[in-house]
Amino acid sequence: MTIEAELETERDPVTTDLAHGIDALVRRVLASVVRVVGQGQGVGSGVVWRINGGIVTNDHVVAAHAGGVAVELDDGRVRPATVAARHPAFDLALLHVEGVAPGELRMAATGTAAHLRVGELVFAVGNPYGQRNIVTAGIVSGFGEARLPSVAQPLRYILSDVLLRPGNSGGPLVNAYGGVVGINAMIRGGDLAVAIPTEVVQAWLNDQDQIL
Amino acid sequence: MEHTPDIRVLALLSNQMADAVEQAGAAVVLVNGRERLPATGVVFDTDLVLTADHVLERDEDITIETASGTTLAARLVGRDPASDLAVLRVDGLGIAPATQGTARVGQIVLAVGRPASGGAMASLGVVSALSGPLRRRRGVAVEQVIQTDATPYPGFSGGPLIDAQGAVLGILTTGLVRSTPLAIPTAVAWRIAGLLAQQGHMQRGYLGIASQPIHLPVAQRGGLTQERGLLLMRVEEGSPAEQGGLLLGDILVSVNGQTITDTDQLQAVLSTAPVGTALEMGVLRGGAVQQVVVTVGQRA
Repeated sequence: MTIEAELETERDPVTTDLAHGIDALVRRVLASVVRVVGQGQGVGSGVVWRINGGIVTNDHVVAAHAGGVAVELDDGRVRPATVAARHPAFDLALLHVEGVAPGELRMAATGTAAHLRVGELVFAVGNPYGQRNIVTAGIVSGFGEARLPSVAQPLRYILSDVLLRPGNSGGPLVNAYGGVVGINAMIRGGDLAVAIPTEVVQAWLNDQDQIL
Repeated sequence: MEHTPDIRVLALLSNQMADAVEQAGAAVVLVNGRERLPATGVVFDTDLVLTADHVLERDEDITIETASGTTLAARLVGRDPASDLAVLRVDGLGIAPATQGTARVGQIVLAVGRPASGGAMASLGVVSALSGPLRRRRGVAVEQVIQTDATPYPGFSGGPLIDAQGAVLGILTTGLVRSTPLAIPTAVAWRIAGLLAQQGHMQRGYLGIASQPIHLPVAQRGGLTQERGLLLMRVEEGSPAEQGGLLLGDILVSVNGQTITDTDQLQAVLSTAPVGTALEMGVLRGGAVQQVVVTVGQRA
């Protein structure tokens, strides 16, 4: 008997609910996570931010592939994408998948990073070393602040102890409610994961709308 | 977005852990006692802060910063390099001491630190093992240590390892065993801290013997059932052991009625016996059991 089957038989409410909770949360998020593919290679992760084909990733993921990238969707289909906008200082990039059919992309649910507290559960989803859909868990460890030369306001970012590896970049950091609270961008000092808060992504995208 | 009941359980756990950090964090202070990165301390009694010894690179000009951002002068009350603990007195601190808890293997824990102004930091893990005693060159430093896979970020030494209710299970230190994050169990750390607060230093019990565990031949057990004892290889001149009448070649079999079969057991008894305590020692001498009283002395 598998451990899962045993737990089902015992009907331990807390254990099964916790396990089901993580399973339900991850399955919901995975539908909105893409693999960003460069010249034939997986280079990172991305989050479906807009139903019309807008995908958010890190700028450093696409910096070397500005001519064009492809995204591999949750169901394995690969679609060409253009780099619609870049913000190197925030390490953000917006990809656009052309000709998206209704219902083809599942928009990620977003959470509020400003409400995050140290100690809250968070999950990272991405494609480390090109492997699809790897989930790591941890907590919010703290917050950091960066003063960027080209930006008036200091950037407040999220620190967490989730395990990130190359290829996780551009993937979502998700809170216990299943909402995307940040975009995983880098690893600081060997073991601290840095994520760009959802509000920063949203504000930048709103600016893009005004320009376009 | 709608929440399924399954996800609600995750949210409850998540909120509880954040509450635990917030609650324990109130008694967690930043400690400024070295040139580079500040470290962390825990309020364990009125106006008293427990921290790691190795993060205090100076004896004076030490300050702490509270959760509310207030900076206060701190006075070094005592250090114990062997256990890497130190106690600071902060007059007018006015922060309620942290709640104590007991670690169990497998328990979800959070390492908490305050290495910078502007909020406590934390990492998640479990209690990996309870081990010990931890020996250093001059005997046992602490009877037990907690091993955890929660990451102690730079500046976390002196901070608490807490459970999901915010109770302090141990004091974190990376200074006891090189590159191995450990926590000193609260019961041990609070006892050492109490002694440091009282007398400024730790008196570790000293007997003045060197011993080796040996197997006891059946014919030489003096009627005892135990199979092992400690053969005294050396009795130092003028030591409490010599003054009490212990002789080279005696085989130690009990202390205060408790069977002794290896040196860890003897160290465990010593680590909780204050200097001046009279210990009744059972020894095998010439094939018969004799009782000898040795008064615990202090190591010079």
